[in-house]
Amino acid sequence: MNPIEAERLYENSVRILKKNQHEKGGFYASPPGTRYPFIYPRDHSMCIYGAVEAGLMDEARKGLEFILNSQKPLGEFSQRYDVDGNDASYKELQIDGNGLVLFVMGKYFKATGGSFYEEMADKAFVASHWETIEKAVQFILMNKNEEVNLIHTINSIHEYPAYEHGFEIYANCACCAGIYAAVDMGKALGKDVSVWEQQADIIRQAIFTRLYSPRRRSFVKCIRVKDKNSKPIGYDSFASIVHDVDAVEYAPAYFELISDYDIKTVSTVRRIHQQLWDSEIGGLNRYPEYWGRNNGGYGPWCHFTCQLANHHIETDNREMAENYLDWVVDMAHEYTLPEHVSTIERFELWLEDYTNGKILRDSKVKLIEDIRAHPKWKDGLAYVTIPLIWPHAEFIISYKKYRDKFNPA
Amino acid sequence: MIRLENMLPRAFLLGIMKMVDMSGPLETIRWMQSIGEELAVIEGPGFEGARMDTDIVYLPISPFGNEVVEFSRIYEKPEQFSEIIGTMSNLKTKSAAPWEFPAMSHVLDVLQHSYNQKRAELAGTRFYNLGSKSPLGDVRQYNTEAIERAGMSKENVAEILDKAFFVYFIEHPEKE
Repeated sequence: MNPIEAERLYENSVRILKKNQHEKGGFYASPPGTRYPFIYPRDHSMCIYGAVEAGLMDEARKGLEFILNSQKPLGEFSQRYDVDGNDASYKELQIDGNGLVLFVMGKYFKATGGSFYEEMADKAFVASHWETIEKAVQFILMNKNEEVNLIHTINSIHEYPAYEHGFEIYANCACCAGIYAAVDMGKALGKDVSVWEQQADIIRQAIFTRLYSPRRRSFVKCIRVKDKNSKPIGYDSFASIVHDVDAVEYAPAYFELISDYDIKTVSTVRRIHQQLWDSEIGGLNRYPEYWGRNNGGYGPWCHFTCQLANHHIETDNREMAENYLDWVVDMAHEYTLPEHVSTIERFELWLEDYTNGKILRDSKVKLIEDIRAHPKWKDGLAYVTIPLIWPHAEFIISYKKYRDKFNPA
Repeated sequence: MIRLENMLPRAFLLGIMKMVDMSGPLETIRWMQSIGEELAVIEGPGFEGARMDTDIVYLPISPFGNEVVEFSRIYEKPEQFSEIIGTMSNLKTKSAAPWEFPAMSHVLDVLQHSYNQKRAELAGTRFYNLGSKSPLGDVRQYNTEAIERAGMSKENVAEILDKAFFVYFIEHPEKE
């Protein structure tokens, strides 16, 4: 890996995080005037995590204030908000947002304490938002199905109900980790959180059994079930298993519910690498091409590549870690990362499919123009949505982990 | 085709017709508005839909479109629905704030608009329905007073309706 270029990308990623935080605290998913000038709790949470890892504690706190104050009456965090914190959703429930907000709040809380956790952690901040934390946990548990002990969602990380409607792995891991974070914060404040801890243990166990396939030696994507309260779920009209490979099947380890050395994680990551590493342009695709919703053309994503780099760093596999991070560094354009990268051929194939199928939305016109106008087009690459802020946060997290492990100061 | 599990939307539309027969269109309008407002309080402040810029919101799809089309294939144009639309039109004509009313292309706009307005109110704003398009065909309705208040023209709204079923404007009191 080119250490100078990697360091420059890290530094610019920190600058990009700072620059794309609205004065009211929300991190834009992409800058104003581009594709996603709103605050999406999923992206926003990862930016808070990136800010914590970069030592931007004031920014992280401000980001948390924003999202915690934007909670909906029943305890949900919406799909997206405007800069004032008003719900601006246009999609159905994405419950991983609840888990993510709690998870990164836990990261902030621990980081404020450092090695003097008990004495220095920002307990006052957590205490002032305790009611919000309670409602967020209750909302997650309100969506737990008692037959399988998993959390039901309609959308998850890909915002793609066709493959995510039901008991989906990323949403379940985020929610489970979020409850554990709430448990840790509650214990530090002297609250009785034993019921939450018990519930998190039950969900975690259900992830390890119901969302793991021993024969495939991999975690699986989703138990597809239409209605949360279908009983028995076997009679639900959607009842089926999505066992296709998906980069987020790494979520149990990403959210620290299982060790990176556990054989379940190791074999899952192996399957992800074998089936999703892009043989033509490198990098990690998020799911198989035939899922067919590849806006701008099928291709690898920077933030999923960073997420999986974490596994190789954790397991001391420096060569693989560098392969992954190196690709991200190589894809940066002027030290800025896109959402994902495709090729001209794949871009045109996507455009043909969507045009013929009459499912090309008006909002994609700008996307198409931007892809064709980007300087990388002349290199044969389609850069889709650049910059997207989220991958910069993921790069901060994984690169810092890499640097700490292999190049300690 | 009715299955018990998908009966509810059709039952609600039929319920509107029965309610008009029992209590009249005005009472039915108030009933739908109270439902919309109560659901809005549970959902909290916000504006559902895509954004043109910070103040214009539009719905690229008709929220109840499928149910409305399916229902119309059985009941066509129920008299009770026409009574509701007529009553809303009279209320708007007599109102000192006609911009507050929905641009009605279907009776369910009463429910939808009361829900939207209450959520906007909870966000400290006002929410105007500038235009709508029926899911039953390219029949468009406009609220000219709301369009004027938004500082737009009917042509502007019509252009957005080419790709949408509802067009709204968020008014921020502090910007007045």
